[in-house]
Amino acid sequence: MKLTITINGKNELLECAPGEMLTEVLRRAGYVEVKKGCDTGNCGACTVLLEGKPVLSCSYLAARADGKNITTIQGRVDEARRFAQFLTAEGADQCGFCAPGFTLTVLAMRDELANPSEADIRHYLAGNLCRCSGYEGQIRAIKNYLEAQHE
Amino acid sequence: MEIVEYSRPRSIDEALRLIRDRGGTPIAGAAWLRTNAKTIKLGVDLSELGLDFIRETERGVEIGAMTSYRSIETSELLAERFGGALGAAVSHVVGVQLRNIITIGGTAAGRYGFSDLNTVLAALGAKVVLYPKTALDFARYVETGAEGPFLIEKFILPARARAAFSQMRISESDFPVLNAAVAKTNDGWRIAVGARPGATRLCPRAMAMLGSAERPSDTTVAEAAAQAPAELRFGSDIRAGAEYREAILPALLRRAIAEVRG
Repeated sequence: MKLTITINGKNELLECAPGEMLTEVLRRAGYVEVKKGCDTGNCGACTVLLEGKPVLSCSYLAARADGKNITTIQGRVDEARRFAQFLTAEGADQCGFCAPGFTLTVLAMRDELANPSEADIRHYLAGNLCRCSGYEGQIRAIKNYLEAQHE
Repeated sequence: MEIVEYSRPRSIDEALRLIRDRGGTPIAGAAWLRTNAKTIKLGVDLSELGLDFIRETERGVEIGAMTSYRSIETSELLAERFGGALGAAVSHVVGVQLRNIITIGGTAAGRYGFSDLNTVLAALGAKVVLYPKTALDFARYVETGAEGPFLIEKFILPARARAAFSQMRISESDFPVLNAAVAKTNDGWRIAVGARPGATRLCPRAMAMLGSAERPSDTTVAEAAAQAPAELRFGSDIRAGAEYREAILPALLRRAIAEVRG
């Protein structure tokens, strides 16, 4: 079946099977920054923004995305680069596989929550697994990033 | 799951026709399709039916079947009317990204044993509305199901109730070992227990022991909490044994009742 999806501001005409998930369709269209991690809805690596809200593309029916706006990390690349500086400063990014989904979730949190506490941050990011960092550096990086945003 | 044909109707009548006349399978949040090996010949996507709402009506508070867990978690109306019980029941589910996909209707349709949300809905005395106008007691529906094919339209909750949710889980985003919800509604105290690991059930005798008192005594609370396990069947699975579940239930209930009592 045919889909028209706006991806990072660009209209794309795509094809998918009726039961196919969004990750597959996006990656086949060249959006390989959408990572295929657990593929079972647990790790957060495949996160994209759907109408501005973070969703797991591995658990979102591609057909349902017809007519909708999707943002991958490439669509927020300037903000992602700024946030990456804070991650680097805390040594919180190692293999980088989780970074696109993780960073998009951080940006979504920043858009949604005005002044998140550390507990809010940990709760919001609970769906993004990282097998390198141990999370503490990421939490410091997020707090520093949000603080810098307010300055 | 393989879907041979996909349809995204724009009206609830059209959706029901596809389900009844063409043997279509309703697709709610669809978050678990990936891990399901079944093949369905016609998937009927319910996402464009206008069933994503949380609103107040003269009948109480209504939640549309396609309302996401995240919307329930962040709803100011639900927090104001039922304390944090509904939010607490959905906020443990994996991450924000999945909670933006999962729907209350999909959870109810599955009548899942592990569901935290179904336990709170049962304790609140919610009704589930099967389109067009069959309203069933939600706790009863979880126990018996409904004659199919049907389409869940919405849930009707009381206008207000004091409620609390209590649970035990091994890790934050895992399925629960056991969950319990307690509510004080206009009809009296209600107690529901789920993840035993079977689906949620009420505890009528323990509820009767609490009666309609606004502030039952500590002794009454302890007696009701101790009574509840005798009304339920417990099972063993990878997360816990039946004896463990039975043993911890009174503690979960004492905490929840105390929270509601204030």
